[in-house]
Amino acid sequence: MVRTLAMFTDTSLCIGCRACQVACKQWNELGLEVPEWTGGYQNHAHFTDKTYRLVRFIEEPGGKPNGDLAWLLMSDVCKHCAEAGCLDACPTGAIYRTEYGTVNINQDVCNGCRYCVSSCPFGVVSFNESTGTAKKCTFCNDRIHNGLGPACAKACPTESIQFGFRDELVGKAAKRVEKLKAMGFKDAQLYGADAKGFLGGLNAFFLLLAKPSTYDLPDNPRLPQRNVMVDSLLSIGSALVVGLGVLLSFRERGKGGPHA
Amino acid sequence: MPKPPHWELMIVWYFFLGGIAGGAYFTAAIADNFGGARDRGVARAGYLLSLPLVAVCGLLLIADLGVPTRFLNMMRTLKVWDPMSIGAWIVGVFGLFTFVSSALSLSSSPSHAALRRKIGLVGIFFGFFLASYTGVLLSNSAMPFWRDARLMGALFLASGASTGIAAITLVLFLTGGSAGEGWGKLKHADRYSMLVELLLLAALIAALGAAARPLVSGHFATLFWGGLIGLGLLLPLALDLLGTRARALGALAAALVLIGGFVLRYVVLMSVQA
Repeated sequence: MVRTLAMFTDTSLCIGCRACQVACKQWNELGLEVPEWTGGYQNHAHFTDKTYRLVRFIEEPGGKPNGDLAWLLMSDVCKHCAEAGCLDACPTGAIYRTEYGTVNINQDVCNGCRYCVSSCPFGVVSFNESTGTAKKCTFCNDRIHNGLGPACAKACPTESIQFGFRDELVGKAAKRVEKLKAMGFKDAQLYGADAKGFLGGLNAFFLLLAKPSTYDLPDNPRLPQRNVMVDSLLSIGSALVVGLGVLLSFRERGKGGPHA
Repeated sequence: MPKPPHWELMIVWYFFLGGIAGGAYFTAAIADNFGGARDRGVARAGYLLSLPLVAVCGLLLIADLGVPTRFLNMMRTLKVWDPMSIGAWIVGVFGLFTFVSSALSLSSSPSHAALRRKIGLVGIFFGFFLASYTGVLLSNSAMPFWRDARLMGALFLASGASTGIAAITLVLFLTGGSAGEGWGKLKHADRYSMLVELLLLAALIAALGAAARPLVSGHFATLFWGGLIGLGLLLPLALDLLGTRARALGALAAALVLIGGFVLRYVVLMSVQA
């Protein structure tokens, strides 16, 4: 594997212009969608099969250092987790990890079982009715293989979305958090930057100005498959109890063994 | 927040019929191996039930795919710890077992019977697997309630047993082939698996705590308490205790158990996806 690539989304720099969302739509030829009423500027409420970049608009009363209402803006995207629930769930091998560490869905292999949809802790992966396959951010796989950054990062006018080598971006991000804290943003924090943290670290990680749940992100996302051993053992236990009961019900008593 | 996979009625039916197929097969194989000569009717009914059911299961699974013509892509890889991957494989392998066991159950030759029993002994494990893996598949997703239900696979297994035995009971009742002690043994085994199921259900709900809300107090609560607990478990248990000798009551109880088994899959799948 070559050096891991990453996207660092610094939400403190986002101005909510949605250039990323539009660039993503255009580059990836994502079709038209009926807008939904979300009570604010955000559209859509969640990722869809045609929305891979989604700018979240969150109003947080008293969220600013001076106590004013904070308008939290965040350009959200597939996290390309180092331990990816969607990838582990995929039964066809359509979901794979690229040499850059990103997670991609091979559209020619996916057969639309949708297990990945329910296995993403962030609700990123979406099912497309017309192709019958699962869709999500590709990290602009075509662009990064041709020396271009992802379309969203390229279009961002404030460098809220930065593209580069993961190790370099993490260093930058850590410095930025310190700076923001010194400016009075006491809840400024990195989300998914730590490779020893949840899901082995996210290859699209974030700088947040409030706790993750404010942004509709899980505080401590866990790999869905972590319990498969325990659940299987409990099932085996149940099989033993049930099987023994059925066996005792059918056992021939006092007739010199079976098939008498 | 996690997105529902939209596994709806086709998958409810798959979970339900897969449980019956697995339960009927392992009951048949146990009766075949450890029962007496008079349990042969039970064994044969169980084997012959599991074959068409698992065939329907396969068709349901394929039809529910986004691209059904790509169903063989499931065979490109085998991920032992991925319930969806190994489940697809086991549906196929279990299908082979039901086919061979069914074919051999039609023969009266002793050497065929001996072979059938041996094959049944191995097939039991695939039957157990088919009945329970669907629960493990749900409990290893990211969906709230499913992901918290450690006992889902164990519960589905017990339900697979109770519905599989109920299905055999109904087949024997409807074909009039329930002579001898096979019937009483079946009812005994069904009562036992229903009690295990009730205990597991109680443990699952208790362990879930607040996460059980979609099931026990939401929109699906009436169906859960009335359809599953009342109609599908407590009433058949009571009927069995009342009339162990009345065949019709036993058959009615079996029909109720089947309804309960369907309701269980329905409420588990639909309550968090609605």
